[in-house]
Amino acid sequence: MQWTKRDMGVYVGSKEFIDTAIIPILPFQLSQESNLSKSTSKREVLSIFATEIEKELSGRVLLIPNYYYLEYGDKLEEAKRLNSWNEEIQKQPFEHVFILTFDSGWKRFEKDLQANLLWVPGFQADDPNSDEMRQMIRGQVSDVVELIRSYW
Amino acid sequence: MSEEKQQVSRRQFLNYTLTGVGGFMAAGMLAPMLRMAVDPVLKSTSSDGDFVNVGLAVEDITTTPQRVDWQIEQVDGWYESKPGRSAWVYKDDKGDIIALSPVCTHLGCVVSWEGNESHPNEFFCPCHDGRYTKDGVNVPGTPPLAPLATYEQKVENGILYLGKAISRKGA
Repeated sequence: MQWTKRDMGVYVGSKEFIDTAIIPILPFQLSQESNLSKSTSKREVLSIFATEIEKELSGRVLLIPNYYYLEYGDKLEEAKRLNSWNEEIQKQPFEHVFILTFDSGWKRFEKDLQANLLWVPGFQADDPNSDEMRQMIRGQVSDVVELIRSYW
Repeated sequence: MSEEKQQVSRRQFLNYTLTGVGGFMAAGMLAPMLRMAVDPVLKSTSSDGDFVNVGLAVEDITTTPQRVDWQIEQVDGWYESKPGRSAWVYKDDKGDIIALSPVCTHLGCVVSWEGNESHPNEFFCPCHDGRYTKDGVNVPGTPPLAPLATYEQKVENGILYLGKAISRKGA
């Protein structure tokens, strides 16, 4: 399910089946020009990644709208905000909340997060729509899907 | 000497010019009409545009379902996208090709062939343990209420082409 009018209509009707939420968190920065391509490709690939996971498990997973944070900002502050997102999500009967990121910096703050951190090693893509890239994303998606299923 | 050369009179010059311009205007009006009149003829050459080559040769299709993925071009308002499509393709006992949509009819997860060890020879939905037999019919007592959709298909030069997914009535 995605955060769209149509999907949320379905969600309200079959709440009991949808118990997992995924928040994709994406870094944003403009200060370090040399890292711009890295930051942007992270964003593009993670968006595709999240959508693909949602497609595989759409009947049980709600994909929360993207959460943006400053790449070089204070992660502790962001963790607090993420926890308030988590609390908001928990107002509905969600049993599992995952935070999806390519940013290894979050690993250190895992204990400060209430939700499960799903850190996936990122990869840079020149063209996220190329065939090799698609194969690679598909491979990783099925691994992450397995991981999520192990929580169910 | 130049006076002996045939001079174009003013009247003649205007006549030629007006005929020329008039001709252009008439052609400009008639050309779209003609184009529209012959349009159905031109269209028939690409009537199978809905079918997409999924990159699978017929001889590679076995009796075990295999997953194929492809993309279609889609224009949705001003938003053009290339959404992916998937299918489980296999040959049944009679040798006919079956292409099933992997989208679970319960809430839309993606089912996989033999996705659960305790249910061999069945499609399995990872979300709520929905099950389908090999022909895509839902197993009663599991969440799905309808069989998996089947794709329109055709074979050209030994290559499989798939079209729209057609949903089937509940079992």
